[in-house]
Amino acid sequence: MINQESTPAVQSTAETTEHTESTQASRGPAIEAHDLSVTYGTETALESVDIQIPDRQITAIIGPSGCGKSTFLRCINRMNDRIDAAAVSGALSFKGTNVYDESVDPVALRRRIGMVFQHPNPFPKSIYDNVAYGLRIQGISSEIDARVKLALKRAALYEEVSDSLEKSALDLSGGQQQRLCIARAIAVDPDVLLMDEPASALDPIATAKIEDLIAELSEEYTVVIVTHNMQQAARISDRTAVFLTGGELVEYDDTETIFENPEHDRVEDYITGKFG
Amino acid sequence: MAADGNTERTLSVDSRGRLLGLHATLFEAVLLGATLFGIVSLCILFGYIAFDAFRPLTASIRWYLLFAGTLVLPTTAFTLYARRRPAVRSANTKAFGAVGGALTVTLSTYIVVDALSPYDVVLCLLFGGYLPVVLWLIVRRTKRTPQTGLTIILAAVGGLAVAHGGYDLLRPIVGIAAQWIAYFGIVTLPVACGLWIFGRRRWSRQTARRAALSALGVVLLIVALALGLGIDPSFWVVVLSAFVIPVAVVIGEIGVTDPAGRIGSAGPFVLVGGLSAFLAVERQLGIDGPDGYLTATLLLESWHGLNASSAGVYPQIVGSIVTVGVMGVLAFPIGIGGALYLEEYAPRTGWSGRFATLLEVNISNLAGVPSVVYGLLGLALFRNALGFPTGIVLSAAGTLGLLILPIVVVSAQEALRSVPDSLREAAFGMGASRWQTLRTVVLPEAIPGMLTGTILALARAIGETAPLVIIAVATTKYSPPDGVLSSATVLPLQIFAARSNVDPAFRHGIVPAAAVVLLVLLLLMNTAAIVVRNRFDRRSQ
Repeated sequence: MINQESTPAVQSTAETTEHTESTQASRGPAIEAHDLSVTYGTETALESVDIQIPDRQITAIIGPSGCGKSTFLRCINRMNDRIDAAAVSGALSFKGTNVYDESVDPVALRRRIGMVFQHPNPFPKSIYDNVAYGLRIQGISSEIDARVKLALKRAALYEEVSDSLEKSALDLSGGQQQRLCIARAIAVDPDVLLMDEPASALDPIATAKIEDLIAELSEEYTVVIVTHNMQQAARISDRTAVFLTGGELVEYDDTETIFENPEHDRVEDYITGKFG
Repeated sequence: MAADGNTERTLSVDSRGRLLGLHATLFEAVLLGATLFGIVSLCILFGYIAFDAFRPLTASIRWYLLFAGTLVLPTTAFTLYARRRPAVRSANTKAFGAVGGALTVTLSTYIVVDALSPYDVVLCLLFGGYLPVVLWLIVRRTKRTPQTGLTIILAAVGGLAVAHGGYDLLRPIVGIAAQWIAYFGIVTLPVACGLWIFGRRRWSRQTARRAALSALGVVLLIVALALGLGIDPSFWVVVLSAFVIPVAVVIGEIGVTDPAGRIGSAGPFVLVGGLSAFLAVERQLGIDGPDGYLTATLLLESWHGLNASSAGVYPQIVGSIVTVGVMGVLAFPIGIGGALYLEEYAPRTGWSGRFATLLEVNISNLAGVPSVVYGLLGLALFRNALGFPTGIVLSAAGTLGLLILPIVVVSAQEALRSVPDSLREAAFGMGASRWQTLRTVVLPEAIPGMLTGTILALARAIGETAPLVIIAVATTKYSPPDGVLSSATVLPLQIFAARSNVDPAFRHGIVPAAAVVLLVLLLLMNTAAIVVRNRFDRRSQ
């Protein structure tokens, strides 16, 4: 299932952004986990997860609090490395490369897998500098203006901020800040966007805007979104994975199947609101 | 079930409620008493010192009337007027900030550079400052390397090494130039560059270049004028570049934007105008002011151990400022480095994690070690182990630097901890390395807090006496230090020495006057810390 011998797509190199193999790899899964387990000390956060996340589709991850949704998301771009106590076993591959391989540089990996967090966290810099951040740290200095403008347009924010690019990002509203964070993530043109409950801190109108945006982005990016909101998962995702307590992936299928005809009773109970 | 008579609840005050109320009032009164006791006793102490320093009773009524009429009344009237109008008030605050800040920077720069010899400073600046910047500009023009920061640091260190190694050869060459040229290089060029960089952001490129060039032109014009009149232009170069030009830029900016700003920026002029009028009238009419000890003589003259009326603490003030400056240069980078390691790099688990925790606990404990003990440490380290001559600025600054190091580390750790972790996550999530996250996100947020902590620590060290007595710093000196390797004394030590002078005028006049000078220095540093902190608060909102 996991092709360890294939040419590593992510290596310890600093230069990224332009990657040609994304068209060729569009058929196969973008992310593939096999027997993936995570423990924090003695506590198990993820228990032997097997999943294949398709390229250029929206995959929603739902489940009750503490079921390991965010842990799984943070495994994909190795954000769990920041927690000393987290121990990962099993295999997780991104475009055929095991991301936990010795030769993989987490910094280079994160440049191809962007992340949007639960609470909008723009840098206390200008709107322009926020979007240009990823480009600058990668040492890209050509056409920064054009790239910033494009990313803001794709994130459906350009119209609102085009006159005030030099203003502090902290002056924006919560919904605008979150779209700015999305613009910041896509400015460097990653392959995958990981979203950890991106709309949970926003009001319904801002949420609707973010959802429309995610739907549009899935034409170009593989989107993995963790959400507490089942209607949201049903509305926007192509595939849905249900994690239940204990870090177990109980069911993973097309969103329609999960919401209309789930295989497991526990999943049905969760979706219909009987527990969780 | 039914309520019987004696447990009936009423809403009126009963005896128990009255007793509880009495308790609360008494407790509040005791707390107020404790607060007042502290504040009142401090006020009495400071009042006593100030009374001895200024001797206000020796002045005539006419002097007080003149003082009130020229200084107190106009300033109070202006302040009351400005208080009602927010635009005027904010412009007034900015104008006063600019004048006060520029005045402090100008005077301390002139004092320190004059003490250390302008030629030495310009030599260091030439090789350690201008050379790296020029090199960095060339590197940036030709190649697009991300290592610009490293280039500039390496060039600066290399440049300083060259300046140090070739000192005997280079110093005479630099010495050919007139003194004002050295000051021009130390103050005017950086100010013009700063104006250019500031202007590019604030105005247009063209205006910025024009502003920088005209600043240089004005300074050169004044130099020519002074040379024509046969005056040494050195001091005026410093005043013009570090005081007049920045103040003019700030006040011009405020005034251009709105008429309220124009009124508000008049605040400092009301004060300065009042002061000049006061001095002119006082001299013209020969009115006697208070016969105090806190006079221009005290601030500007050298120490005189026999005659209190001609004794000054200028060498001690310079000694204190130079020591604090060197101390800051030594303690800030080391303290920040330690805090960065402990907060951002140190492992949290395993044996190495325990070691890091042990380090952290020990550093917090070191912040409470008595200063006399640090004196012994300084004696052992600088005098005995490194063999420094007794009582030089470097060993005094080093000893006090060790004393404040734990405080700097702890406050820098606090500043780093106050940077929200979500910002670090955002940077890491964008594919920033640990160093990039630190440099681009964490440090810009934490630096103001670190500076505030360091300034407060320096303010604590400026009053330290005991460790300096232990390392045998001279308690009396007649001239300011002329370098970090020359011996010097500081204000608190001189106060300590003057206290045992046979002449009572020293004990009851010079001592309190010098204490007021020390307190004013302390106040200035604390103000600087508060200003830095407030700027930070406003930005993070």
